Amino acid sequence: MNFKTLQKSDADFKKYLMGTFSNTDVAIPVKTLNVGTVNETVTFEIVKMIEIQRPKYFVFLAHLIKLRTYLLIMVPLFYVAFKNYLDDRFFDPISFLCASVAILFLYAGLNLRSDLNDHISGFDRVIEPTSPKPLLKGWITGSEVSFMSLVFIAISAVLAVPVFILQKEEIRVVAVVVILFIVGQFFKKNSYKNQRLGEIILFLLIGPGLCSGLQVALGSGIDTEILFFGSLWGIAVLFLVHLNNFSHLLSSSQAGIHNTMNKMGFDASKKFLVFWLVLLNVFWILFHHFYAGTFWMWFVGLVFIFWSIPTAIEFSNISSPVGSDLLSAKKTGYKNFLLMIVLLFIEQIWYLGNKINWTL
Amino acid sequence: MLLEGCVLTQAKLQRKINHIMSVKIFSSTDFPAYLPKLNSLYDDLFSGGKGFRSKLVQMVSEPIGISKDLQNLLCQTIEFIHNASLLHDDLIDRSVLRRGKPAAWNKYNPEYAVLAGDYLLARVMVNLSAHGNIKLVQYTSQMISDLLEGEWLQDSVVGDFFVTPAQLDRIHNLKTASLFKWCLRAPFIAQNNFDQDLHLCLEEMGTILGQLFQRSDDLLDYDIRNNEGKAILGDLKSGYLNSFGSFVSQNMNRGQVDQMIKSKTLVEFQNCFSDVDGLKIFEQKVLEFDQINSKLIDLYQHHLSVLMSLLKEKITSKDLFNSLQPLTEILYWRRKPAGH
Repeated sequence: MNFKTLQKSDADFKKYLMGTFSNTDVAIPVKTLNVGTVNETVTFEIVKMIEIQRPKYFVFLAHLIKLRTYLLIMVPLFYVAFKNYLDDRFFDPISFLCASVAILFLYAGLNLRSDLNDHISGFDRVIEPTSPKPLLKGWITGSEVSFMSLVFIAISAVLAVPVFILQKEEIRVVAVVVILFIVGQFFKKNSYKNQRLGEIILFLLIGPGLCSGLQVALGSGIDTEILFFGSLWGIAVLFLVHLNNFSHLLSSSQAGIHNTMNKMGFDASKKFLVFWLVLLNVFWILFHHFYAGTFWMWFVGLVFIFWSIPTAIEFSNISSPVGSDLLSAKKTGYKNFLLMIVLLFIEQIWYLGNKINWTL
Repeated sequence: MLLEGCVLTQAKLQRKINHIMSVKIFSSTDFPAYLPKLNSLYDDLFSGGKGFRSKLVQMVSEPIGISKDLQNLLCQTIEFIHNASLLHDDLIDRSVLRRGKPAAWNKYNPEYAVLAGDYLLARVMVNLSAHGNIKLVQYTSQMISDLLEGEWLQDSVVGDFFVTPAQLDRIHNLKTASLFKWCLRAPFIAQNNFDQDLHLCLEEMGTILGQLFQRSDDLLDYDIRNNEGKAILGDLKSGYLNSFGSFVSQNMNRGQVDQMIKSKTLVEFQNCFSDVDGLKIFEQKVLEFDQINSKLIDLYQHHLSVLMSLLKEKITSKDLFNSLQPLTEILYWRRKPAGH
């Protein structure tokens, strides 16, 4: 077995991380010390490129662009489309289509960029991944990820041009989003998910920002309903982020990463997760109180509350920051999140059925 | 190459062992005789045990030319800390035996066991601060706090039969590896050698040695290379899934895990995999576990070669290489290194 140990100050350090040190070999980080400091030391295992076993292309791509997290942008897309169709405000389908595809590419590009940043900062080496990381497996090099990310972001930018032409108001929304993004980039150390200001920016970007941007692309402007839905969605996404950060509380604390969970510590974080779940329930019910029928408010409200109670109990009963309770709680919390999406979907289908009198 | 031909002669090795055996870790005159039962408690505690950690300290100290007095201080420090952790550990785990004899809390009382452990830690600080190397005091204190964090975390996963190998590694890195890292680094710190690259390398090597030692120790529980006759399935029966248990149960279903928890004998444990091919699958798992650790051993050898390149004096590096190179054989495979 061939190993190479390099320090951050070594001239070749970045070449090995980016995979540009050789045309035939791949450097897989196997051990990292003093991550995030000037003394960071990484030991790479040098493997022949032809010896790397890559999965089938679709599996590889799915892991690369984090396909399973696409729900985070697909749900707002779906909701905006349904809501405006039901309200007869689907004014500009072409612009909406362009914006939707642009968002999909942008999300893929940003996911790749985020993975690359984590790889360079060492964050992906201190936090145990829950799914295979293509960069850590040597399936792809850092420079290839960087190139793919730029291509995806460029495609997204090209697709955004017709949206700006068709819906000029979109420029203002995108300007706000870009400012938030730049502020986030300016302050972030590891990623949006792992820094307290980053958490707020993530909430604004993926919640009200994304939802109102999509609705503006559709030509129906911003209204209180979409802002409320965006806030609900932002809280739901942050619920997942907090849960994820909690699941690697020990390793991220040891690595000196600052986020809400690490700041609070183990015992307070458990309470905070329960609080956040309650907040999600409150927003869920208020949203339905203001923008849904009475039946749906009671039905989805009660189902969600009754499902959330065992989740909250499970959070409270977690006994160790390293045990299996963490992964189990993470799964339970994720199921709660999925339930919310399923209920929302059934509800929208019901409204749609009523609108078309259940005839196709 | 520098490292080629670095094999100890039998006589040299014997001399080294003789020296190592000559170090006195504990003397009853070190502790006040007016404290009831304290010295007899320590007599029991220090009379058993292999003293591997102090030997490791000497393996590093000797080649780099540390004086005998300082070697004694370092050896005493690591053994005091290790034995303090055993006193507390036995009480936490309610282990009734230690090295074949009644554990201190069981023979005397829990209060004495706690206080005797605390007293050892206090002596460490007294002795080290008297020596006057503040960096050494600081590093030792850090090691003790890591050790305690590891103990605390380990206690929090007792009864958790779904804990992952990676999660256990984090605990073992604090609880076990912190001492091994200290054994490698402390002699250099005592010598006022604070070379950053050197310490990073030693830190890595200590981490690997600690992990290998822990994993090998965990294998004993499943009667693998169990030459010491350690009790079988002891960890599992006391509700603790060790690194090998965690490794083999990764793909088990709930029913298999339940069966595993109830296992009273090794055959019952092996039957968790399959009633027909249980033994075969078990042996396959051991092989896979060994393969993972072989990779870790390769990584250790890589760091050892980096260490040699960092040491300026050839003679020192040769002797140090000879001391450190066979450790993985001894610690993980539990066999005498080839040629020795």
